[in-house]
Amino acid sequence: MNAPESPRSFGRNEPDYPNPLPRPEGEFEALQKAWKAPSGLSFITAVNNTYVGLWYIGTAFLFFILAGILALIMRAQLALPESNLVGHDLYNQLFTMHGTVMMFLFAVPAVEAASVYLLPNMQAARDLPFPRLSAYAFWAYFVGGLVFFGTIFFGLAPNGGWFMYPPLTGSKYSPAENADWWLLGIGFIEISAIAGAIEIIVGVMKTRAVGMSLDKLPIYSWAMLVFAVMIVIGFPAVILATLLLEMERAFGWPFFIAERGGDPLLWQHLFWFFGHPEVYIIFLPATGMVSMIVPTMAQTPLVGYRLIVLALVATGFLSFGLWVHHMFATGLPKMSLSFFSAASTAVAVPSGIQVFAWIATIASGRMKLTTPSLFIIGFLFIFTLGGLTGVMVAMAPFDWQAHDSYFVVAHLHYVLIGGMVFPLFAAFYYWMPVASKYPLSERLGRWVFGLMFLGVNVTFLPMHITGLIGMPRRVYTYPVGMGWDTLNVVSTIGAFMIAAGVAIFIYDLARKFRFASDDNAGNVWNASTLEWLPNGNYNTRSIPEVVSRDPLWDQPNLSKDVEEGRYYLPGTATGGREALVTSPFDARPQYILQVPGPGWQPVLAAVFTAAFFLLLTVKFVLTSVVCGVIAVGCVIWWLWETDPGPVRPPADIGGGIVVPVYVTGPANHSWWAMIVLMVVAGMVFTCLIFSYLFLWLVNPGAWPPQNVRIPEWTWPSLAAFLYCGSAVLIAAASRQLRGEDRRSPISVPILIGVALLFLCGGSAIDLWAQWGTDLSPSAHAYGAAVYAIMSLQIFFVLTTLIMGAYTIARWLARRLDSVRRTTFDNTMLFWYYTVGQGLVALIVVHCFPRLTGGI
Amino acid sequence: MSGRRTGQVLLMVAGLIAWAVQFTIIYAVTSTLCGRGWADAAFLGFEIVPMTIVSATLVTFSATLLAAVWSFRNHRRKGEQPVSGADSFMNHVATLINGLSLVIILWHGISAFILPACA
Amino acid sequence: MNLEARWHTLHGWLGTFAKRAAALFCMLSLIGCSGVQSALDPAGGDASRIYWLTVIMTVGGTLIFLGVTSLLLYAIFAPPERRAWLGTRGTIVYGGLAFPIVTLSALLPYGLIVMRDTDVPQEGALPIEVIGEQYWWRVRYPADGRQTEFSTANEIVVPVGRSIAVSVTSADVIHSFWIPNFGGKIDMIPGRINRINFTAERPGVYRGVCAEFCGDQHARMAFDVIALEPEAFEAWRTEQAKPAREPEIPLLARGRELFRVGGCGSCHAVRGTEASGQFGPDLTHVGSRRTIGAGQFPNNIGTLAGWIANTQHIKPGVRMPSYGSLSGEDLRALAGYMESLK
Repeated sequence: MNAPESPRSFGRNEPDYPNPLPRPEGEFEALQKAWKAPSGLSFITAVNNTYVGLWYIGTAFLFFILAGILALIMRAQLALPESNLVGHDLYNQLFTMHGTVMMFLFAVPAVEAASVYLLPNMQAARDLPFPRLSAYAFWAYFVGGLVFFGTIFFGLAPNGGWFMYPPLTGSKYSPAENADWWLLGIGFIEISAIAGAIEIIVGVMKTRAVGMSLDKLPIYSWAMLVFAVMIVIGFPAVILATLLLEMERAFGWPFFIAERGGDPLLWQHLFWFFGHPEVYIIFLPATGMVSMIVPTMAQTPLVGYRLIVLALVATGFLSFGLWVHHMFATGLPKMSLSFFSAASTAVAVPSGIQVFAWIATIASGRMKLTTPSLFIIGFLFIFTLGGLTGVMVAMAPFDWQAHDSYFVVAHLHYVLIGGMVFPLFAAFYYWMPVASKYPLSERLGRWVFGLMFLGVNVTFLPMHITGLIGMPRRVYTYPVGMGWDTLNVVSTIGAFMIAAGVAIFIYDLARKFRFASDDNAGNVWNASTLEWLPNGNYNTRSIPEVVSRDPLWDQPNLSKDVEEGRYYLPGTATGGREALVTSPFDARPQYILQVPGPGWQPVLAAVFTAAFFLLLTVKFVLTSVVCGVIAVGCVIWWLWETDPGPVRPPADIGGGIVVPVYVTGPANHSWWAMIVLMVVAGMVFTCLIFSYLFLWLVNPGAWPPQNVRIPEWTWPSLAAFLYCGSAVLIAAASRQLRGEDRRSPISVPILIGVALLFLCGGSAIDLWAQWGTDLSPSAHAYGAAVYAIMSLQIFFVLTTLIMGAYTIARWLARRLDSVRRTTFDNTMLFWYYTVGQGLVALIVVHCFPRLTGGI
Repeated sequence: MSGRRTGQVLLMVAGLIAWAVQFTIIYAVTSTLCGRGWADAAFLGFEIVPMTIVSATLVTFSATLLAAVWSFRNHRRKGEQPVSGADSFMNHVATLINGLSLVIILWHGISAFILPACA
Repeated sequence: MNLEARWHTLHGWLGTFAKRAAALFCMLSLIGCSGVQSALDPAGGDASRIYWLTVIMTVGGTLIFLGVTSLLLYAIFAPPERRAWLGTRGTIVYGGLAFPIVTLSALLPYGLIVMRDTDVPQEGALPIEVIGEQYWWRVRYPADGRQTEFSTANEIVVPVGRSIAVSVTSADVIHSFWIPNFGGKIDMIPGRINRINFTAERPGVYRGVCAEFCGDQHARMAFDVIALEPEAFEAWRTEQAKPAREPEIPLLARGRELFRVGGCGSCHAVRGTEASGQFGPDLTHVGSRRTIGAGQFPNNIGTLAGWIANTQHIKPGVRMPSYGSLSGEDLRALAGYMESLK
């Protein structure tokens, strides 16, 4: 760690400002210039969190409206029994798209988008640590999402349900491309979500206001941290599931086909291991928002900060023990079900803690009944009800009745609308003065709230009964005389009430929303957190030092002092965009991160990545591959400009603190990002190994199946030796690349080159050995599982190959030396991961079947 | 992140990790034994499935109890020497999380006394 | 009063209360909760157990919900000095931590006990095999004592008072077998055989549906469940095991001939004739069933004729093609023959 320990003590009450007034001539202008947004057509190359965040939120909201319209069509169809408004084919596409779009294109992106906008402001960071990555995530989502949604106009939209259960979605029962749109479209949008999550984790941990130690972190940051970690753990499962199903559809590898040793339940395990945490992934950021809004509206500090942190962390863990409660009716042993019942029950406790924390906060202050407050009250009402029905469905016997009936439809909408949409609307009203010149209308806000609140209850409260008196979900129509008619009409009326509320909101938005950065409406609510500081594209003029959780209340002149530049880093040290990186626990300044500015690379990379996936879906393989190559090229072009090295000596940011403008090793932000990426990769691999073991479990006596040979020991041993050898070579290269003298010996590229040969050789030998046994990937699930593990390994080896070649290129271009070695470090970390994964893969594939001896 | 900090974070979520371990063990063992019809096996006269659940519960519960006591003592000791805000906060949250985990781990052990192994 | 008596009184009181509350709720929502396909009208032990779990959780949940809402409103509207006690950490510890832990520590074991007692295999149960197929149900009664095995479709007949052990699986995609009046649902998964056990306690006609989305016509995949007194059941069973009856009048004989030349027998079986197809529902006693089209339309000569002529219009996506080219006369004969297969 190259960063110095701060000589100053933190947590002082008496601020003596780090930087004196008046500020030097031209300092502020330089800061403004560095952060100026591009103009004209290049405006879309902006990467600043303010712009990207707002585009992101706007797009997510667009999908909310679109998916809402789909829901209205469905409700219109269901208003009357035996209705012919839409046929079964369209209806099945509608409900599939409604669920998919709301979950993948609205809910997760919306909360991620809000945090791209809010997090840096709330932590008084100049920007997120990887602004181009957020831009890439946004554009990939924007292009991919719109094309995906467009399929509904051509009758090509997926129609197998948002949960996509095979075998219905396998090639036998869904031969058309509809299912492929889901698999490739969604798989790829998840990658964008993961990119956002990596950004958020590093952002929360590393870019905060000075002195904003873990105990002073806004609850919203805590929520986003847990959120992002959950994405990193949960999303890989569904990415793997989509990969497996797509391989089954495209090449006939039978992961889910029972006749050939597969099992449809494998999909359900993988899908819900993602799918249940997903609910909390959506819910936690919303609770984070609520915990920010409630104290402001009650004008009092949050009660039970630590208990809320407990609740967030506990929810994050427990939500991974619930997935089988979507599978209570699949015939698993009761004992197994009981564990999930217990976990589903347990997760109610953290929710209870949060609800009571808000009630206590409200009671300790004086709640102003503004529109955000109304949405918060509505949220508490609706969410509490949804949480209680959640405890009901946690009881397996009750769920055997309620599962896949309208009761569950009611429950999930109470939880999701109550737990996410209402807080989001509260947030829209609450933070509008940060983003816009004018706040939204309080008068119309009451109408919006009233219509939405009544609408939600009128729509979904009756559905509890509709379900218990026997109406199953996902039916395009229902017979006359079942007693469901009245309830359905009522639900339909309610749905249109919600729509009316949203329509008024859009009208108000059109009237009042005018984008603003430095001329925003300001702190109209007298809020206490840093996003309400005066700000511009550069966020705050200087980075404040905070001494409490409510700095704007406890440090009375903070706004003025920050704006005058009295705090840290009031200008730019390198002349470009930069952020102050702080230590993860105590938020001491560590170094100045040189942040990349606008550029076409992320936009182009995103467009071509989207094109790769979308063209692959319609089987334009060649064009698709060309786009993929261009996308990789754009990413390399983008990366080439990063890792700038120490462009100047350590800079004084004020108060006698001198920090470097470049560090390497574990203090570096991209080191952290690489570790998180390795966790993502590790989760994909873990889920794959789980799939392998699961398929073993359902194939007694056929693992491997009759007539299948396992390769001789020689080959896997040789492959393992080569893998280890390549890791040793990379370690040696790392040793060569040490020292303060900026050396860059030629041994480094040579070692990397040889290591690449070893790595690729190991992988090739393993593939060749399996191939030599005539193992077919499509005959039986065993072969499919073995080839899947190998394919994943080959993918990682190829990625390492590109990274290794890139590192060599950096050396050739004299952009790599013993000080400026972040690129090498990242490659090295990824390399070690690839080798580790390869070794585990060899052990599983070659040892497991021998050990179990075919039982 | 220094070793001390890593330890602190691990202690903070020790109970939840213990729960995750308990959960993985009891679920994996039940699924495997029931799925393959090996659940009739007995060990020292105890049915193997409930015995696994009970022992996994006991072990993880004790581990969590240790973590809870340890973090509680850290938390209580704060008066003796000055600690940073982050430290005091972590110790307190650790106590809370480990305490709650005790209840959750117990809840996962109940079924061994109520349900048949594989029905 | 001893404890047990108290418990009984309490139980009785709770029961009355719940029934009244449920009745009121049903009245308010302008529907009857009693129904041929309702979890709120249990007709068997398992369904009752789950019903009671539902009632207890609903009542408890409602009380908690009212409590939380009142506290919230109190926190907002009560005068500051009166609500000050609520604005402390204690509120969270007692309300958000201790209360849920205590409540859930009681609910969880209760839920597990209900789970243990529900869907339990019994000695001497009547075995039935049901296979879900895209948009209909193949039902097989294996040989049982003196009774021989036979197949039927889209209708399950059970004796009252005897435990029923249904084994389910699927021939194509995942379906789910659900008779709300008798208990929960069980998924029908290709490659797996699942079981569900229940006992009907009240004779009557009920309805089951497919609860897992299974494709185009998931909405039109239901079946009738008829609970008969044991003697009536035995009589029904004996009838069903017999081959199809011979046509008695020329029109019906013509219908049978049309059935033969039309190739219906390549998909459908009519025991006692050469029709032995296994692809579609067994039609040996199709005339005795209450409904056709997997629980969709009342079974009579008119709907049968309509179904044969317009299958793809009525239920688009099923395997059976529409036989729209039959003349009116032929259609009547064919439908009449079907209807005569009692």
